[in-house]
Amino acid sequence: MDKGFTPRITALLCQWCSYTGADLAGTSRLQYPTSIIAMKVMCSSRVDPVLLLKAYLSGSGGVLLAGCHPGDCHYEVGNYHTRRRFAILKAIFDTLGLESARLKLSWISASEGPKFAQVANEYTDEIKKMGENPSKKKMFL
Amino acid sequence: MSSINLDMSAPDGIIALLKYLLSSGKVSAVLVPRRNPDTGAYDIGLIADEAGLDSAAPVDPVMLANTGQILSSLTPAKRSLAVVLKPCELRAFVERVKREQGSLENVLTISYTCGGVFPLEKVIEESFADVIPNYLKRVASGEIVDGTRDTCRACEHFVPMNADVTISIAADAGSIAGCRIYLNTDRARELVGGLEGKQSDDEIDPAVTLKLAAKRKVEKEKLFNSLAPTGDGLDGVIEVFGKCVGCHGCGRVCPICYCLLCDFESRSFDYDLPYFEKELSGKGALRLPPDTIFFHLGRMTHMSFSCVGCGLCSDVCPVGIPVASMFKKVGEHTAALFDYVAGRDVEEKLPVMVYKEEEFSELG
Amino acid sequence: MQGASLKVVDGIKSVVRDFLRKALESEAADAVLVPVRTPAKDSYAWILTNDQAVLDEAGPLAPTMPVQGAKALKSLTRKGQGTARVIAVMRPCEVRAAVELSKLNQVHLDNIILLSYDCTGAVPLQDYVGDPAGSEERFDSMLEARKTEESAVKPVCGICVDFSLVDSDIHLGLIGLAGESALLIPNSEKGAALLEAMGIACEEDTSGWMQAVSGLKAEREDKRSKALAETGASLQGFDGLHAAFADCVGCHNCQSACPICYCRQCYFDSEVARRDPAALLDTAIARGGIAFPGDRVMFHTGRMAHMSLSCVSCGQCSDACPVSIPVADIFSYMADLTQATFEYAAGRDDGEPLPLRQYREDEVEKVHEIVKGAEEEEVAHE
Repeated sequence: MDKGFTPRITALLCQWCSYTGADLAGTSRLQYPTSIIAMKVMCSSRVDPVLLLKAYLSGSGGVLLAGCHPGDCHYEVGNYHTRRRFAILKAIFDTLGLESARLKLSWISASEGPKFAQVANEYTDEIKKMGENPSKKKMFL
Repeated sequence: MSSINLDMSAPDGIIALLKYLLSSGKVSAVLVPRRNPDTGAYDIGLIADEAGLDSAAPVDPVMLANTGQILSSLTPAKRSLAVVLKPCELRAFVERVKREQGSLENVLTISYTCGGVFPLEKVIEESFADVIPNYLKRVASGEIVDGTRDTCRACEHFVPMNADVTISIAADAGSIAGCRIYLNTDRARELVGGLEGKQSDDEIDPAVTLKLAAKRKVEKEKLFNSLAPTGDGLDGVIEVFGKCVGCHGCGRVCPICYCLLCDFESRSFDYDLPYFEKELSGKGALRLPPDTIFFHLGRMTHMSFSCVGCGLCSDVCPVGIPVASMFKKVGEHTAALFDYVAGRDVEEKLPVMVYKEEEFSELG
Repeated sequence: MQGASLKVVDGIKSVVRDFLRKALESEAADAVLVPVRTPAKDSYAWILTNDQAVLDEAGPLAPTMPVQGAKALKSLTRKGQGTARVIAVMRPCEVRAAVELSKLNQVHLDNIILLSYDCTGAVPLQDYVGDPAGSEERFDSMLEARKTEESAVKPVCGICVDFSLVDSDIHLGLIGLAGESALLIPNSEKGAALLEAMGIACEEDTSGWMQAVSGLKAEREDKRSKALAETGASLQGFDGLHAAFADCVGCHNCQSACPICYCRQCYFDSEVARRDPAALLDTAIARGGIAFPGDRVMFHTGRMAHMSLSCVSCGQCSDACPVSIPVADIFSYMADLTQATFEYAAGRDDGEPLPLRQYREDEVEKVHEIVKGAEEEEVAHE
């Protein structure tokens, strides 16, 4: 593994569950890598998948979208819609031979501080293995 | 009774049907492609006078604009309309209706088993009309006609999915001399039932259409495979879309892209100089205007599951990018996630508007 | 007017590349905006770069014009100024469009140094993408011979009268000079300052070049008026207009490729321009029928009304048209007329206000005369 390479991971976190989960990870003093650039959104379904695409094409090593567990959405059904839209984006990546592993969807509740830290750690490792996002060096995008 | 046979060619039969609808007052106007006999130029006429139908060219292998898109601008219709449109145009219209961009109320949809159309650059050639008789013959014998568009050659959905009236043309040898009009709905039987002709209980023989569908499927695999070596990975995507000039004509003619102001032309994706300076310091070089690849992949995200493969995006591309083939290929994959077929059924909800609690468990 | 003499050793493109390289090295500029060939080698894209390696790959004088340079500048500076000083290498018509856009507040030129050159014309886009290698060859031979081959370039390029010095900051003079020489001419304070910062002295006489340019210009003016008169003759009356746009599919590519049409949402694509379904049907019934795509003549004449005063005859509209309508010929014809009405020339001078931003109380009479003159001309045609 290239030790010198620290990926940047754009993390879009639903404020009701996953962002609170990230907070909990912090207040519980659980270690997770600085690679995670966290942004709070009202709901995972508030994120148009083109924003995930934009993050990918802007060179983010990984793009993490996290929300409440299915069935627990603060807005009742938002994350079911998130899941469908995410599936569409992933299918586009797969069809075009793009690295869909750079896109990740995760369900992390407000009480799952340890899960957030685990996802952050594991995903960072996975992205480290993948190396730099090729978009980072492409000028013709 | 489910079909009416007329002793005339299929195109003439459609014109006779339209004349009947107008003269009997069953509809107040018909929407149908026309060919100017003097100049050879095509348009799509909304015709209220029977005489106006003399220049109708209902099944000429031409797609100037998506009739589904035009029909949108005419609905909701206060008075009844009949419209002749290709199966993909009808599917596009159905997708638009789902997006509240049109209504099927008071509209009699007349479609036909389609042999595909020629690229626009061919259609504007002066001698274009000469290819039509031979085209119709070959289509009737169930062939895929040379020179028709890639996306048409690879289209398996050439049998209209939910037209009120279907005319049999492709893969029907009888369509040169006789016109078979199938009435699929109560609305069709009510409005067209009085048309004089030989009535029967025939239905389109699936054995014949399946044979053509199989041929088209082979073409489709060939087309998709031909995109694979270039359309693979980020470099492949850049290779295909790299020469895009950013005119966004593909989005504008797309019957699914109904937004008046596309997201990608909006302020959301305007950048200020500090952004570019940051990009420049990171990459050393960047493209202006930016977001060329983003636009195409983004548009796929927004509409690919509803793509009907009508091919207009490729037709209007000034640099010949195979936009339609790429979108069709991607669209088949995104629609398949939900067992969705664009335009199959107006009652079927758009996949992004509904969900199932138990699905995609592997994603979270 | 004086300039700096440059020696052309390895072709004109490399003279420009060398100049840009030195500008970056000497830190007289922070970045350059140049056309670079796409990875598939099937077109060019505008690339903003400060990387010498990218510059080596650049075709600073591109055979074709996939995206109007002014549009690239617009995307960079629409939201305002930065601190980076950018040299943009653009055709004269691109410079003129940038000047128009700056008047329209869509481009900010304060930190942009416009470098232009004697242009031999652009290969039509469809020709280029159809045969990139052949087009490269044809263009290179035109460029090095410093002579336009009309059959190889866009129709509007063959009748272009603004092929040389326009309102750029620095100009590369080529026409009428011997094969191994070129002239670098400062054309603004900004341009002069840049050359000075790079230690380039401008002491060469430019009169020979100027004479050659004005000779060609006179020839072109003649050609242009004849060609446009012919276009005009075919447009007379509603039938003429209707016939000209009979194949239009309503994609509006012409508008989105146009550097002047800067509106985010074109009026003709907006809700305001939409008609009520019932009204459309009523019209069809009253007239016996109506044609779609609708409002084609309305769109094209409306666009003329909106932008022809700033039209620079760059020909991008024709390049983008999927059904080969000679949009650029038609718009050039109209633009020459509307601009002449106000003695205005698009992109001539960034200090010249847009005609519609001002008025003179005593001009009505004059406008009236011009309109009358045009009518008489029309009668003479018939």
